[in-house]
This record gives sequence, C-alpha cells and structure tokens, in this order.
Amino acid sequence: MDKLERLLNLTAALLDTDRFLSAEELRRRIGGYPQAKASFRRTFERDKEDLRNMGIPLRVESIAGSDPPIDGYRILRSEYAGRDLRLEPDELAALHLATSIVRLDGGETGLHKLGGASSSVEAAEVGHVPFNDNLATLIAAAAERRAVGFSYGGVARQVEPWRLSFSRGHWYLAGWDRRRDDQRLYRTDRISGAVEPLDGAVQPLGTPTDPTRLKGWELGDERPVTVRVAVDEDQAAYLHHLLGEDAEPHDETGTPTGVVTFEVRNREGFRSFILTFLEHAEVLAPQQARDDIVDWLEALT
Amino acid sequence: MSPRLTAAERMTRLLAVIPWVVQQQGAPIDEIVARFDYPRSQLVEDLTGVVFFVGVHPFTPDSMIEVDISDDEVQISYADWFSRPLRLTGSEGARLLTAAHSLLGDQSWAGGDDEEAGPLLRALTKLSMALGEAAEGAVEVRLGDAGRETLVPLRSAVSRQEQVDIEYYTYGRDELTQRIVEPSRVFSDNGNWYLDAWCQRAGAQRVFRVDRIRSVRLTGDVVEQRPTDPAGTFTPGENDPRVVLRLHPDSAWVAEQYPTESAKTDEASYSTVSMAVSSVGWLERLMLRLGPSAEIVAIDAPLSPDLVSEAANRVLERYR
Repeated sequence: MDKLERLLNLTAALLDTDRFLSAEELRRRIGGYPQAKASFRRTFERDKEDLRNMGIPLRVESIAGSDPPIDGYRILRSEYAGRDLRLEPDELAALHLATSIVRLDGGETGLHKLGGASSSVEAAEVGHVPFNDNLATLIAAAAERRAVGFSYGGVARQVEPWRLSFSRGHWYLAGWDRRRDDQRLYRTDRISGAVEPLDGAVQPLGTPTDPTRLKGWELGDERPVTVRVAVDEDQAAYLHHLLGEDAEPHDETGTPTGVVTFEVRNREGFRSFILTFLEHAEVLAPQQARDDIVDWLEALT
Repeated sequence: MSPRLTAAERMTRLLAVIPWVVQQQGAPIDEIVARFDYPRSQLVEDLTGVVFFVGVHPFTPDSMIEVDISDDEVQISYADWFSRPLRLTGSEGARLLTAAHSLLGDQSWAGGDDEEAGPLLRALTKLSMALGEAAEGAVEVRLGDAGRETLVPLRSAVSRQEQVDIEYYTYGRDELTQRIVEPSRVFSDNGNWYLDAWCQRAGAQRVFRVDRIRSVRLTGDVVEQRPTDPAGTFTPGENDPRVVLRLHPDSAWVAEQYPTESAKTDEASYSTVSMAVSSVGWLERLMLRLGPSAEIVAIDAPLSPDLVSEAANRVLERYR
C-alpha cells in the first residue's frame, strides 16, 4: 500500500474514533502495516512523526484501564480544524499576491489550507526577506502573548516578545526580558540554538523600541561610554550618513568634520563599526576604548 | 514548482483539496491544479489511485471516500473526516503575516492608496484574529529605506521602459554622480531596495542602491533593447577568487547574511563556508570584525594568505 494512502487512512481513523486507540488496534483497522512487530513499530513511529510535522495535532494518552498502561492515540476534530477565516476571494488573492511578491526563506505559508488562490495573479517577485524557524516561533509567541526562552550572547534569556521587526537586513526582537526586568531589543540572528516556547506572558504589552533608531553600538546593557572617533576626510560624509543625528559632527561653520563624539553601550558593536572603516578611522578617546581596538588587532597579527 | 511532490506535500495538499472540493460541490480539475499548485497528472493519479481507497474500518463502500472524475470535473463525497481544512500551524501563520506585512510596508506598491491595499488589510485583520490577540502588531517589515519619491518614478520607468536620469551617491568614494540609466528591475533584498539597470556612463549592467539615489528624473526616452542579465548582478562573478572560512558558532550569522557557495557544520557547531570575494576590502572588513571567531582555511590568489594580519597591521599603524 502506498505510504500516502496509509497516512490518510491513519488520519481518518484517528479523527473517526471517539476514544483513544492503541497502536495494535490501529494496525488492525488500517491495514498496510508490516506484520512483524518490530518493523510495524518502526513504521508506526515514523508515521506519527510525519503527522506531527504536517501540523496534525496528534493526542497521546494512556488507555483507560490498561495495566501496564498502553499508549492510545486520537485526533480531536476541534483541534484538527482551524477557525474558518471566511476570507473573501479578493482577500485570498491579496494574500496570494503577497506571498508571490515577497519570498521568505524556507517553509510553506499554508495558503492552500485557506482554499488556495486562483493563479490569475501573475506577479514578479520584488523582495526577498530572510526567514527561519526561530522567527516563526517568535512571531507566533508574540501573536499569542507567550514567553520564550533562548540563549543570547552566551546568556539564557526569558523574554515576552512584543514585536519582530525586519529592518536594514536584520530581524530584531523587541520585548520584555524577565530576568533583567526591563524592555530589551535583540538581533534574532545572534540567538544561538532554538527558541523554546514557554508559559503565557505576564507583563502588559509595551511599546516596542524602533530598531531603525538604534545602532549596533547602542544595542547593549553596558555602562555608557562616550567615545571620540576620527575618520579620513573623504569618509566624513559617509560617517555622518551612518550616525544620523546622534553625533556632534559639525564644526563652527556647520561643515561636517571627520571627528565625532557619541555614546557606546555595546563595545562589540562599536568595534565592528569602527573596523568597517579599516585604516581610515581611529578611536581617539577614551584610552580604554583605544586599547581595546589595539589589543583586538594585535591578536590578529 | 517542482514536477514531483513529496508524500508530505501531497498529503497536506490533499487535506486542503478534499474539503475545498466538497464545499464547492465539485470543481474543474484545472482549477484545483492552479489553486493548490498540484501537478495535473499527479493530482489525477492521487485522486483515483489513493484517495479513492481511503476510508475507515471496515472499508465497506459507505465507509470510504467517493471520488468521481468525469468531463474533467472532480466530485468528492463521503469524506466527513476531512470536511474541514487542517488548521494553520504557528509557522505558516507567521509566514503569512510576514508576507502580508512586507507588501503593506512597500508603500510604492500600495501607492498609499487604501483601495488597492483594502483586500490585503481586510485579510490581515481576519488572519490576525485567528492567530492571537496580539498578532496585529507582532510583525513589522521594512523592505528598504528608500522613499516613495524615488521608488514610484523608478517603478513607472521600469514598466514604461523609459530611461531615467539619476543622481547617485557612490559608496566609499564620497561623491555624487549623475548618470543616465536604463532600468530593468526594482527589487528588495535583505532590507535594501536595488535598481537593476544598464548604466550608460559605465557602459555596463549595474545594480544601484535605491536609498543612495538622490534624485530621479524620467527622460521620456525609451530604453534601447539589450539582453539584460539580472542574475549576473547578484551571483558572484565566476572569476572572483574564493575564500574558505571556518566559523565559530558565534559567527554562524555570516553564512546567513552573505551568499555562500557551500557550507557545512560539524558536531561542535563550527561551520566551514566557501564564498566568492568581490572586493578585498569587503573580506578585510569582515575578517577584522570577526576577529578570533573566524579563520581562513583556504584562499585563492591573488588574495594574500596573510590578508588578515596585513589589514590588522595597516589599521594598527594609526595607533602607533
């Protein structure tokens, strides 16, 4: 029997039942499973995994009265089917347009489940946005007001996500950091490992920090340090473009100069920024920040 | 769309096709093919060879799905278990939200016109209601920093095949240049808007960052027909030297942010990636930023094997 046929029959049997069914009962009811016990078990385990990967909510519970306890399985119809969104054809078409114009890395959008969309919309892709499973978990948690756990900068965090923002090539997470008891902004590509969903959010939803207003050297918890930096004259305009209004960049006549002063709360972010200028920039003060750069570079020679 | 679907893709599609056809009380095959990206021959094969045999114990005719295809019209009945589509997963919902917000964030598409954005806004409201109480504000996407005043005329120049006169700020050279270009495409990648165009000044196909275009003027002159090569702009040059880097797990983001040609990760989560180097300065910047968390494993001539220490020493000169 075709695997697809077996999986469909398994799903139908699990939806049809009004009690939990054991693996053995399912084997007898469905057919198409290997006779030998060990290979049946292996195939059945894989089938369960396949169903879960498709997002089918498989329930497992000990069968009442079984001793020793035997696992029973079923799918509740109320959990299987989603809420009917009642999308009008033009709304479905708009979503279809969005998914064809903007390409997200990997994964399905589930548009088929909403009834698919007639391909009358022919649209060329105009944008590409990076995407991954961690982002999906974070967005779902923000939408459902649940907390998540992840490792960031070598520290385990518990965060209640508020908003995920994509800006200038990076995804940012704004939310409430439970351990620091304060609002924080993270770059999601700096999260190491998988994001784990936790319990419900406790803090009220706050106003997320706008990441476009933040620079790499501002994303941090460190004690603020005011630094003075010099860049070559021909790089001055570019430096000012990057700094925006945050620096004090002009001389008395209002001309942009190559020497600027600004505040740093993330030394690593500051170092990366300065090094993008290669030999066309230099940290003037304080001495500590200057030494940091020198130490970093000497380790590379 | 690949011609063959995997068993999982066929299954999730069928679980959507069946309730839809039932609800429509029958549907033309071609419409199912188009709506669900289901290759025609496979769809027919799966409906008649698989779905037709699906049911529950004891598999008597009244406990099995009935499929009938005649005159290219599909009828499905007795499929009570699959009468409603499977719910959206959190991941699918997040992707739909993100795609919809991306398009809304592209102001030049909606044209600031509520009528055009109307169906998308309505869809987004319904979707958000299903995905969670705070779904409405959970995602925000900026495809790029460029403004409507630049994007809108560039888009219309592309569709009208018209030459434009632009003022462009050249990165790193700190100069504003004026040039006539023949635009072929406006697109967003990794948070920036780009213009793909033939540059008359350079006599070559070029990609411009739209946020560095200071002004745009449509000239009224039609572009000259020439073969464009949009792919050539973003794929690394064939003749570019390659570098192979070994990255500490902390630097794994490099592989996501830059186009890599091969990447593998070992048990200790260190990854080894191969990339094309289009400019020495780019690689020097990257390596100095990464510091000890990246190492050059192999590097093509004419790039120096001592590129990192040479660059570090040049910067250190300023501090001595």
